[in-house]
Amino acid sequence: MSMQIPGSEYFSSRPVDPAVLASALPASLPVHTVTQEQIDNLDPLTYEVIRHRLWSVTEEMGEALKRMSGSPIVTDANDFDFAICDEVGQEVQVGLYNTMLVGAVDLAIYWTLQHRADNPGIREGDMFLCNDPWVGGGLHQSDVIVFQPVFHDGKLFAWTSAICHEPDLGGVGLGSFSPAAQDVFAEALPTPPIKVVRDFELQNDVADAWVRRSRVPMLVNLDLRAKIGSNSVGRKRLVDVIEQYGADTVKAVMKRMMADAESRLRRKLTALPDGTWRATGYQDQSHEGDRGVHKITVAMTKTQDHLTFDFHGTDPQSGVINCTFAGMRGGVMLALLPILAHDIPWSAGGLMRCFDLVAEEGTINNATFPAAVSRGPIGPAWLTGTLVAECLSQLLDQSVDLGKSVQAACCGTWDTAVVAGLDERGEFPMPFLNVMMEPMAGGFGARPQADGMDTGGLFCIPMGRIPDVEMTEFLYPLLTLWRREEPDSGGPGRQRGGVSASVAVTLYGSNNPAGLVLASAGKAVSQNNGLAGGYPGNTGLDAVARGADVHALLKQGKVPQSLEDFGGGVELGNCYAQSYLAPGEVLYMSWQGGGGYGDPLHRDPAAVADDVREQKVSPAAALQVYGVVLYDGVVDGEETAVLRDRLRDERRRRSVAPETNGAARIALESARRLDDNLVVAGNKVGCAHCGHQLADLATGTQLALAVFEGPSTEAGPQITSDPATYVDDEIVFRQLCCPGCWTAVYSAVVPKEHADHVSDVGRFALAGGSQ
Amino acid sequence: MAYVIGVDVGGTFTDAVLDDDAGTVVAAKAPSTPDDYSRGVMEALAGLAEQLAEPVAEMLGKTHHVAHGTTSSLNALVMGNVPPVGFLTTVGHRDSIFIMNVEGRYLGSSPDELQNVLGQSKNHGLIPKRHALEVVERIDRDGNIVVPLDEDSVRTAVNSLLAEGIRSIAVSLLWSFKNPVHERRIRELIHGIDPGVFVALSSEVSPRIREFARNATTIMSSQIGPGLGEYLGVLEGRLREQGLAGPLLVMQSNGGAIAASEAPSTAISTVGSVLTGGVVGAVSLGRQLAHRNIITTDVGGTTFLVGLIVDGEPVRASTTIINHHPVNVPTLKVHAIGSGGGAIAWIDAGGNLQVGPRSAQSVPGPACYDTGGTEPTNTDANLVLGILPESGLLGGRKALNVEAARRAIREKIAGPLGLSVEDAAAAIYAIQNAQTGDLLRKTVVEAGHDPRSFVLYAFGGAGPAYCASYAAEVGVREVVVPLGPVASAFSAYGLASSDVVLASELSDPGPMPFDPVRAADNFAVLEEQVRSALDRQGLSFERIECVRSLDLRYTAQLAEVSVEVPKGPLDATMMADTVAAFEKRYAELYGEGTGFSAAGIQAITFRVRGTGVLPFSPALPKLADAGGSDPSAALHSTRKVCLDARVGYVETPIYDYRALKAGHVITGPAVIEVPTTTVVVPPEMTGVVDHLGNLTIDTQRRS
Repeated sequence: MSMQIPGSEYFSSRPVDPAVLASALPASLPVHTVTQEQIDNLDPLTYEVIRHRLWSVTEEMGEALKRMSGSPIVTDANDFDFAICDEVGQEVQVGLYNTMLVGAVDLAIYWTLQHRADNPGIREGDMFLCNDPWVGGGLHQSDVIVFQPVFHDGKLFAWTSAICHEPDLGGVGLGSFSPAAQDVFAEALPTPPIKVVRDFELQNDVADAWVRRSRVPMLVNLDLRAKIGSNSVGRKRLVDVIEQYGADTVKAVMKRMMADAESRLRRKLTALPDGTWRATGYQDQSHEGDRGVHKITVAMTKTQDHLTFDFHGTDPQSGVINCTFAGMRGGVMLALLPILAHDIPWSAGGLMRCFDLVAEEGTINNATFPAAVSRGPIGPAWLTGTLVAECLSQLLDQSVDLGKSVQAACCGTWDTAVVAGLDERGEFPMPFLNVMMEPMAGGFGARPQADGMDTGGLFCIPMGRIPDVEMTEFLYPLLTLWRREEPDSGGPGRQRGGVSASVAVTLYGSNNPAGLVLASAGKAVSQNNGLAGGYPGNTGLDAVARGADVHALLKQGKVPQSLEDFGGGVELGNCYAQSYLAPGEVLYMSWQGGGGYGDPLHRDPAAVADDVREQKVSPAAALQVYGVVLYDGVVDGEETAVLRDRLRDERRRRSVAPETNGAARIALESARRLDDNLVVAGNKVGCAHCGHQLADLATGTQLALAVFEGPSTEAGPQITSDPATYVDDEIVFRQLCCPGCWTAVYSAVVPKEHADHVSDVGRFALAGGSQ
Repeated sequence: MAYVIGVDVGGTFTDAVLDDDAGTVVAAKAPSTPDDYSRGVMEALAGLAEQLAEPVAEMLGKTHHVAHGTTSSLNALVMGNVPPVGFLTTVGHRDSIFIMNVEGRYLGSSPDELQNVLGQSKNHGLIPKRHALEVVERIDRDGNIVVPLDEDSVRTAVNSLLAEGIRSIAVSLLWSFKNPVHERRIRELIHGIDPGVFVALSSEVSPRIREFARNATTIMSSQIGPGLGEYLGVLEGRLREQGLAGPLLVMQSNGGAIAASEAPSTAISTVGSVLTGGVVGAVSLGRQLAHRNIITTDVGGTTFLVGLIVDGEPVRASTTIINHHPVNVPTLKVHAIGSGGGAIAWIDAGGNLQVGPRSAQSVPGPACYDTGGTEPTNTDANLVLGILPESGLLGGRKALNVEAARRAIREKIAGPLGLSVEDAAAAIYAIQNAQTGDLLRKTVVEAGHDPRSFVLYAFGGAGPAYCASYAAEVGVREVVVPLGPVASAFSAYGLASSDVVLASELSDPGPMPFDPVRAADNFAVLEEQVRSALDRQGLSFERIECVRSLDLRYTAQLAEVSVEVPKGPLDATMMADTVAAFEKRYAELYGEGTGFSAAGIQAITFRVRGTGVLPFSPALPKLADAGGSDPSAALHSTRKVCLDARVGYVETPIYDYRALKAGHVITGPAVIEVPTTTVVVPPEMTGVVDHLGNLTIDTQRRS
């Protein structure tokens, strides 16, 4: 880690008070705004009509961007977004694609207003391009935003923007990702806002300088035009709306949309109990050669209608697993939008007024320049989102109704593999570069009343998709040997986590070794932990069947269907690695499913039988993890009851009982729900299943739970690797049980040092309303 | 003289229209009979015969062909009311239909559903995993056999499916559209084991690249094929018994039709026909009114469907979405953009008035129907505003309860917003118009067209009350409300007046410039398929017209753009022209300068559409001429109607459509009551009754 470079703080954008921002603008840049009175005087009819029209303008922008773009990351993976903002950059309407980008768009506009208004000026017909994650607009350099001021009557009226992920923008690594990067100088060059369109005309000098850095300049050029086109559509339509309804009315609607979203979120928060909830998660390895574990920790405090996310205690920035402030904010939005705002219009400018971020500078989710940040969105920002979701789930799980939005952790990262080599299928050999898109098919976390969605996708990219195998094979010299859902990859629980999948590819039509870059996390420490005693989903696993000759097998009429079938050795891929794939060898990838919810020993045996029949759970796991005995697929009720008792005995045998373990019971009838397993009655917290008292909030600080710590593989067959392969820290399966009925209250694969937030009664002290 | 009969079996009613070359047009209606739809069909046919004063046998004896559209297959798919089927695919790739490319979670969802990720699910899989089995084989992208078919693996899989009681099997292997030899061999093997099993091959049902959609299409086809075959067998039997000599054709979702005997084997191609019938009817009417560019809007109680006709041809799509699955069926592009007359007005958590997308459906229905609905709908607002009469539609089925409508609006909207019931109703009406305008515009613009160069046709019971307003909203000047003798059976009229269209397609992806010889071969194969299929229809055509098209895209893009390939021998110049046409169309769709040909252009799918032009040109009967523009003879009454919240209620003339004649001019504000619908002519607009009985509204002209 290097020291912050003096002068680089100039490029750090932070949220600003819009009034302060507006008043600091030069006289040469008059802005259009409206009074509160004009906003209040809007009639409901006009408001709804224009609100809907602005929605349709944003939709049109997104459609234009998506269909014009050349990169599969946009067209297939939907890793892009777009927004309409008010005159000072507050987001009025955002797209539904990569929701993390929502936390970054306004930052770029604030910065531009602060640093570009005088020189070179912000004028009608301009568009700015930016891929500096400290400035904002994106979470790493691959996210490129093009944004445009829209003027009315000579006054700055609004901004439109379009962002998408570019496949490569240079730097030492393929796809602009270098797993060995020590700092940002090994990555794509961050470009602060630069005028790419002037007086409605694309500036060829700027465009050329822009695409010159890329290994795929043509795709980057196509995407640049797509983003310009999308902004042009947005401007034209916005101007139409202004002409029809008048600038003041349209602006009043924009302001009110944000105020409306804000007040609805505030009302929702007000109705919930106040308190502080904590969550801590990890990145295993920070770069090629690292064997460390790096943590992000958050304390979410809800006071009346406001949330504060305090990240103090998060580890210092390290290797490539860092994100800037924009990433931390994007991570919060990734959780907040679907969990708290699914029924509120996404006028993000209003929603973002409802929380504050508190963090030290120079940490893995608030990194200073020149930290390497290419892993930002899919490493630390994503983990930030997962942890915020965990905090929100603790808050919401107390209510059966709001508990519908509770969800155990989903697939916790993007399992990256870039394969680049020579396509020798045509008349002339051509270089190719393919980012494997299959890991988009992650599993979703389980919920109090539903199993996690199997291969449901990635929670942070709601509209992600994966390409068809045929399209991949048409475009690249690859043969896909399989692409399948993996049984047991979903975290066991009363509700099961969604399963993920695996893929195996070999070079086909290329006689030269291809370069291979791997990047992922969650191979040693789970990133997809369960909730309320639910178990983590699978650990990730990437491997190369080294020295295999798959073509010989195919010639014998065999299509290998497992790593063992290939012959040769299996070389496990580190979380961060640069390697190669030779002809005949096979790249195998298995990414993460979702975490479980509740104790798997409480799962309905018939649901387990269904899972076995539908190959979501293996017969072995049905026995060992769920304690369900099946004969010909039919549940044997008696034997299942006996086996489940035996498994609970096993928990009793292996656990350390709590120091204070009284025989007190609490009255379940009058108790209020905390989550699947815990209830509170007066000052007493107890087990929801057996009534065993676990804490007296007046005197105790910890829940009196039995503790087991053992090898991570004790969590079940979904833990496919030995953590020692990847990290030096000791990694354990930690399970906390009610010492009364031996129901699991917490089950996770964590570093031995992991702080126990579950037993900390601080999270109920306020929440229980007992004071 | 020969008749043509169109029969459209909908969810509630079965419509039939008969026409001929001599100006005869009759329509009949009968309730649909879901237990055996052929009964309702025969009843509707009896209705036609009665109007002709001919026995059914005599009518059918003179019938050139019967064109039949049915919603039953689509309903079966949507309701999951299909028999269990098996699926055989390439080893390693069974889970394609379970992973669903992830998009199966959200495809076909509305914007508010998209925003609610936690409300989505993938619990709409086509079949259980145990019915999806793998066979050992592999073919590569060039159609080369990498691993030959392991026939034992096929027999094992088939036997285990049959042991589960399965009688219909879908076979879809990777790259089968490049080399169908393994799929065909599998069919032989299945029939070797049991010749009675229904088999659908992806290389026949949908020879197009992208396995997920192809798998889904083939499986759905195998789910509805046997049932469709059975139904058509019964229907054809009845028709033959009653004397039908000409062929029975089944409408396809691409607007064409195929012989009943061939329909089951590509059953999936018939599923969307019920939605597209209206567009086909509009094409036919447009020809008579000399309209080349038409936006069709079909607004019913629960749906709002939009179609486009550009330069006389309906806009087509090559994929549709059913139950969250992409389905490869060439279809007329029909967008569902809203929820029609039953759309519910509500107040969101922010205190804002919203309309739709939730609908009161037919049960419980709008509050004013008095059938249990308590939530205010568009229909309720229209009743309060005086647009709808309390006495109900002229066709006169049932009276509407204005008090119930007012109560619903008062309790759910007016009270909470502090508005009068009338103002709340006016706000609902205005929001419905504006939002419809937005969605309509989005639909037209995203298809790459400017709505201002279109005429808008409005049919369906709930559309004409709004059409002039939403048309004006998007800049359309001329609105046609088709009202002649077939207005209530427009879809069936479309069936009875259309030519026979068949399409054939094949993916052969490759970079442009594509080898002209290989392209010519592809088109020749497809054209031969289309011509021989037309020959098998058992019809006499005046001529057959074939149109070649090619789906192109810029390298690595998701979306392909289809362009027509001109007639004549293919050479390098013509391939270059095709590329130029693609780039031009691309620029129209996405904006000038957005294409980037240096990234490369790829050809994906070749397609030939053949039209068998029938020796008929059925015309609608002419309406008597009024001899003047004054419509006062048709004035039925006046009542207070509110069409604009700012103006309030205005004493408005109400006309009885049945008394209007060609040439009558109606000055807005006015309401025209038609037996099947209610038409609003807003203030400052003018309506004219044309020679076919349609009402044409000019949205910009004061009289």
